[in-house]
Amino acid sequence: MIGEYFAGLARDIEAKLAAEPAASSARKVFALEVARLGVRLYSPGRPVAWCGVLAPFDLLNGVGVTSCFAEFVGAMLAGMGAATPPLEGAEQAGYAADTCAYHRAVVGAAMQGMMPVPDFLVATTTPCTGGLAAIENLARLFRRELLVLQIPRAETEAGVRFLAGQLERLARFAAGRAGTALDAERVAAAVELSNLTRGLMVEIYDLARKVPSPVGNRDLANFGIVVPLLMGTQAGVDVARATRDELAARVGDGKSGVAGERFRLLWVQNRIQFPNPLLKLLEDEYRAVIVVDELNDVTWEPIDPADPYPGMARRAIGLPLNGPAERRVARLRQLATEYRVDGVIHPCHWGCRQGTGIRGLVQRGFRETGIPVLNLEVDCIDARSFSEGQLRTRLEAFLELIAGRPRASA
Amino acid sequence: MRFLGIDVGSLSCDAALLDDRGELLAATVVPTGARNREAIARATDEVLRAAGVCAQDVTAIVSTGYGRDRVEGRRAAVTEITCHARGIQALLPGTRLLIDIGGQDSKAVRFDAQGGVADFAMNDKCAAGTGRFLEAMARALEVDVSALGGLDREGTDGATLSSMCTVFAESEVVSLIADGVAVGAIVRGLHRAIASRTLGMVKRIAPDLSGLVVAMSGGVAHNAGVVRALSAALGCAVRVPPRPDIVGAFGAALIARERFGG
Ligand code: SF4
Repeated sequence: MIGEYFAGLARDIEAKLAAEPAASSARKVFALEVARLGVRLYSPGRPVAWCGVLAPFDLLNGVGVTSCFAEFVGAMLAGMGAATPPLEGAEQAGYAADTCAYHRAVVGAAMQGMMPVPDFLVATTTPCTGGLAAIENLARLFRRELLVLQIPRAETEAGVRFLAGQLERLARFAAGRAGTALDAERVAAAVELSNLTRGLMVEIYDLARKVPSPVGNRDLANFGIVVPLLMGTQAGVDVARATRDELAARVGDGKSGVAGERFRLLWVQNRIQFPNPLLKLLEDEYRAVIVVDELNDVTWEPIDPADPYPGMARRAIGLPLNGPAERRVARLRQLATEYRVDGVIHPCHWGCRQGTGIRGLVQRGFRETGIPVLNLEVDCIDARSFSEGQLRTRLEAFLELIAGRPRASA
Repeated sequence: MRFLGIDVGSLSCDAALLDDRGELLAATVVPTGARNREAIARATDEVLRAAGVCAQDVTAIVSTGYGRDRVEGRRAAVTEITCHARGIQALLPGTRLLIDIGGQDSKAVRFDAQGGVADFAMNDKCAAGTGRFLEAMARALEVDVSALGGLDREGTDGATLSSMCTVFAESEVVSLIADGVAVGAIVRGLHRAIASRTLGMVKRIAPDLSGLVVAMSGGVAHNAGVVRALSAALGCAVRVPPRPDIVGAFGAALIARERFGG
């Protein structure tokens, strides 16, 4: 079902772009490349790895393995409005209903035959142990080999060496599964592409910071979390370049992403993945724009193509979602200042210990800066728990509160 | 010029009518029932009749509450947070923290020194500790919900309730009755449980309560037992305006006057 969905989506977008090249948009290029990735994942005969969120996708692309983080399937199912059957399947099989629905959906999807059997799996010990457990479950279900990347929580030289060694072993292992020996030149070429994409992402986020921002509420939704899947490929560069060009053109034309931008918001962690009217409400009734998502961020340096593993290790260790909460809160505060936001929306995704556990610290961190925070009680995947009226009231009350304060961008 | 505020809540639909100086002419509270529109019409009729005002004389209507978008003829729909805030600042100026416990939700609003909303929190996920919760408990105790405040006085030591889930708390209350625990003690225990849950919500937005002037609104504020329990939990007096259940509608009417009064 999901494979057919991706194939149909790719065909549709290709046909539209062929018929009307002028109607191309960065978001269509993005959707097309995501659909093509989906097609590759669901096509038999290619080496595929299901992974944790912090796996080095550019490296895996570089050794010829199509890879994806498992939570992606949960988000796709939710986006298609099809997450309920796998969620119910997982719950009936004993998966606790108060665990993260990304993982419940993915385990249910695997049990219901909706996920291709991978060649191997790569779990990462961060950002959450729930993710590690989900990948372990998948490995058992699929009876495939599991590699676990132990990601240190602090960026020390010893920690970087420790992870770099694991990454190199992963590269050899994955190349072997792809039927080749590890080819340093191929890896270097992938790293060059990854660095190019990274540079474009930096430009994209610089453009998004402008007042008014050229981004609309959907332009960069899930961007920073999904683009890494395309890193190390030309597709990643193409998506990032199309996005950069589109935003730069808007800035050049003096256009903002949301007409008459009034409020600028920071969105913490994940977006709500199933169709819902809240973004439209933000845009139409309040002219509020999410100028920055926590996950739309570049926190790593370009990686040395000749010696990629330490740079990749630093990238994973240095992600604010890894390590102590203070580091994450500090980065959030920095983003809020750089993007001159008027308020912060923190959807405390049910079942995410990472997200709900840090709620008080995020709130306290922003209280010190005087930036208001709205905590939403929401499940970003499981639409069965969605209470539109409740969320609407909280969101509207928050915007009314912000409206009574001076604009951060004034 | 007349200004109408309508607060469509889950349990009650409240209306408040003001004159052009912002004075309250009349207010009413009717049960919302299953049909919002009927309740809205009834509340509007009642308040207009009580004030002797024709519908055509109403300059502007502002609606609030979860059914705010269902009020026809409204000039604006404003959330209950903003309306309660506006209402309480007019009724009890200087309030720095408002606790509102309504039929299905509870909220806490913290104000800055100028009376503007600085932060707010609403109950999580379920209706534990709200008017619905108390209704269910009153049913289990076989008393009228309006009698709970008075019964609380009878209990000396409150009974301990371990659950705030409406379903579990109801069966806990039933077993306490079966064990012969005095109704007054059970009621006191219930009120304490509500206060401690509310305190959790309040602390999220106001970690330091010292020196804050606290007020309470919503239908549950009629229950003196809850007010006493809250006051004990917060460690300060809790002020209640004369008609705590119309604060939202009153605030909505004030906003109508401010925005559309010319
Ligand atoms: S939402 Fe939280 S629990 Fe779920 S995958 Fe993300 S970090 Fe892990």
